[in-house]
Amino acid sequence: MTNSSTDVLQPAADPRPLAAEPPPIRRPRRRRTKERPAPFRTYHLFFYLLLGSIVVSTASAFAWVFNVSMKTNREFLGTSPWELAEGWRWENYANAWNGANIGAYFGNSLFVSITATVLGVVVSVVAAYPLARVQFRFNGVVLAVFLMGLMIPWMVTFAPLYNLMQGFGLLDSRIGLILVYATYNLPFNVFVLTGFMRTLPYELEEAAAIDGASPTRTFVSVILPLMGPGVASVAIISFLQNWNEFFYALLLIHTPEKMTLPLGLFQLGQAANYGTNWVTLFAGMMMTVAPVLIAFALLQKQITKGLTVGALKG
Amino acid sequence: MLRKAQRRIIVPFLLPAFVLLALFFLYPLARTVDLSLNEFSRTGSMTFVGTDQYERLVGDPDFMNALKNTFLLTIIGALMLFPPAVTIAWALSHRLRGERFFRFFVFAPVVLSVAVVSIMWKFLYHPTLGLINPALKEVGLGALAKTWLGDPATALAAVTFVSVWHGIGIWVVLLCAGFERLPSDVLEAARIDGAGEVRILFSIMLPMLADLLRMLLVLWVVQSFQAFAFIYIMTGGGPFGSTDTVGTLMYRVAFDQADFGYAAAMGAVLVVLMLVIAKILNKVMKRDELQY
Repeated sequence: MTNSSTDVLQPAADPRPLAAEPPPIRRPRRRRTKERPAPFRTYHLFFYLLLGSIVVSTASAFAWVFNVSMKTNREFLGTSPWELAEGWRWENYANAWNGANIGAYFGNSLFVSITATVLGVVVSVVAAYPLARVQFRFNGVVLAVFLMGLMIPWMVTFAPLYNLMQGFGLLDSRIGLILVYATYNLPFNVFVLTGFMRTLPYELEEAAAIDGASPTRTFVSVILPLMGPGVASVAIISFLQNWNEFFYALLLIHTPEKMTLPLGLFQLGQAANYGTNWVTLFAGMMMTVAPVLIAFALLQKQITKGLTVGALKG
Repeated sequence: MLRKAQRRIIVPFLLPAFVLLALFFLYPLARTVDLSLNEFSRTGSMTFVGTDQYERLVGDPDFMNALKNTFLLTIIGALMLFPPAVTIAWALSHRLRGERFFRFFVFAPVVLSVAVVSIMWKFLYHPTLGLINPALKEVGLGALAKTWLGDPATALAAVTFVSVWHGIGIWVVLLCAGFERLPSDVLEAARIDGAGEVRILFSIMLPMLADLLRMLLVLWVVQSFQAFAFIYIMTGGGPFGSTDTVGTLMYRVAFDQADFGYAAAMGAVLVVLMLVIAKILNKVMKRDELQY
């Protein structure tokens, strides 16, 4: 989802299955019993230990960040990393939000991610429709061009992209960043949505045509309403990617007022290296992490399902 | 009638997406190749130099070092990623109590920004203020304490570990989906025949998931070849170039030395190398389609 890491979300590195028709959907047979935990076996102890240690280490990393965000700079330097903060220093958060501009970064991130996600999803739903359900001569070629983006590392094109944005006057502008993010979401979106649309019965269009609906009308009133789950998972994944993206923000945005959260936090981190204002950085990190983790806790199912839908067809 | 009417929507429906893709991806991609065949002077003028840039790459110790590190990162990362990911996914496929809770913690780092994760780990690795060295001392392993990111011997592995920690959730989720799809009658039959769980994993589950594992490996290669953000934030390529990858070197060459043509040549080499490796992996790991 992030750049190099956000690219994790680019699923089908292997182009072969893309060209082939998706195989018939195989229902996972375990689904039925899924809800009930299995009876305890001795070897399960090993699993509990393994997973438990992951939980403990991850949770302690987050707890440590939270703890530091409640310390003063003197405490941070003077006490051992284990020691609990002396008091609740919520003013660190206020300082980060106002003084260190986290509030502004947060607003920029929201604006950029939401707009880019909406643009990317709308454009790719519309494009996926003819690619998935209308036969025309260059259908396969056009689809392959779209999906090529899943395979080629995007970052290698950064130099020409930089020049291009400069030429358009879109350097250091949020609009430019939005356009790049929306494009960057396209291959994955088109891949998932075409796969999803192909699973709908073809009689839909025929019936609509007999009723006298134009193809556009058919798309809007018949196909789109059926695309809910597909659109939802694509939108969630795109949003996460855009929210976390770092590389293009670093490349294209230079003024602090226009920075998104990852970039702003990076700048803050650089400043903390040379200055002494660590606790503000930690408060900033907490504020970046908390909403995403809460959203993830609520949407866990959709997010993980959205991922698998893309990568493993069916 | 229907077909004819449908044809009319093809172009208008495809156009917006195609324009975006052409402008911000296809054009820069083509331009990358073009740039790599030219040389930029400081004033910004371009002269055609053919394959000179590529020849320069071969003799450039910085590029060779970056390339070596990129490969190292890919290999070390794969070793750090796949055994734990398979084990975790295997554990999660046993319908344990609190599965949702475990899944949350395994996947949680994925939803965090690379920037946050990198800054957080930079501090966790900090020799005195961080969490790792004091923790090692606490359990009596003080001898293992290191300046993780400051020592050329450990820096690359330390950075790689963070990127694995961040992304492992995705691999686990995909592997879990794979495990879930395995036909339960086959596994049941093995159990009845008295096969142990470990045996079932290695002799039945993993072979049946060979295709998925191959895809995940290629995915890892694609991702680690463009490793940039983690390194840029945590070490900036240092100490002594020990974590410099093609990604970070490219960025430096383009913006510190304003040599866009040379950076583009590196990018082109990276893409070609990646496609070749993906091809090789596909060939080597290709198996006959299992029917089940």
